[in-house]
Amino acid sequence: MADLKILAVDDSPTMRRIIMNTLKRAGYNDVIEASDGRDALAKMKVEKVNFVITDWNMPEMDGLAFVTALRSMGEYKSLPILMVTTRSVKDDIVEALKAGVNNYIVKPFTPDTLKEKIKQVLAG
Amino acid sequence: MSENQPLQFKIQEEITELAASVNEIVSRFRELQNPLRESSEKVPIATEQLDKISEQTEAATHQMLDRVEKIVQQVEDSKKGLDEIKVYTKDGRTGDISALADVLIEKASVTCNDAYIIMDALQFQDITSQQMNHAASLLEDIEFRLQSIMGALKGQPDDEADGDNQQNKRDRVYDPHADLFDKRTDQSAIDDIFARKG
Repeated sequence: MADLKILAVDDSPTMRRIIMNTLKRAGYNDVIEASDGRDALAKMKVEKVNFVITDWNMPEMDGLAFVTALRSMGEYKSLPILMVTTRSVKDDIVEALKAGVNNYIVKPFTPDTLKEKIKQVLAG
Repeated sequence: MSENQPLQFKIQEEITELAASVNEIVSRFRELQNPLRESSEKVPIATEQLDKISEQTEAATHQMLDRVEKIVQQVEDSKKGLDEIKVYTKDGRTGDISALADVLIEKASVTCNDAYIIMDALQFQDITSQQMNHAASLLEDIEFRLQSIMGALKGQPDDEADGDNQQNKRDRVYDPHADLFDKRTDQSAIDDIFARKG
């Protein structure tokens, strides 16, 4: 937990604050944030990230395009990615799975669900 | 007879032109039927979204108010407890101070938890914001279609009117199914999908 750097990607500043607070409460203190996929990729060029939590519906580059872009880069092929989104239609979930997300949470989420999914993803 | 012939041709020509104009107007009105029908179909969806925003905002606000009322009560109780501690200290009742301190620590923990619950409930803002973007997008579509109709009635070419509309349209990002209470797939079904992959 101590050496885990998490990147939280969401276009909603409210959601970013809630996610970061939840993570800090769970003991994950090294958290950075980005407002969409493009911003996230730029931040990942300068900071080494071990875990990504991303929304789907975002301007510029959405979560699905961001995950697809990450999976196409050799260094991020096995990076743990958790999608946290309002999209709860089954076809969307399957599409996210195919794009390469490791797990998926539908908003609104409880802190326990977020903590549990992070643990599950990290356990592989 | 020969004197009337040019007049007859002129009248015939005028009538033919008039008929062509009427045909063009009729065909133009037929073209306008589609955007009008599509616009009228979007109004109830936009209305439904706006109603949903109102209901869900109210429900989330009540959830938070319930917690705030609980927190206020806990703070009032804690104040009373601290006043009691002052009296116990004066009287040298250390055993009672210790017992009351434990109660106050427990209360502080419950208060903190309630504050976190309020923070989590604030996720409604992201969801209603997407619902508002959906409603706004539907209303913008209706506005643009009505502008196209007005343009067509004034004889403005369609592509010119569409160009103006596209320039004015905001790029909105939203999930049309975003909902605070109704998830189309629950977490256990999502877990099953991911478990099958594994």
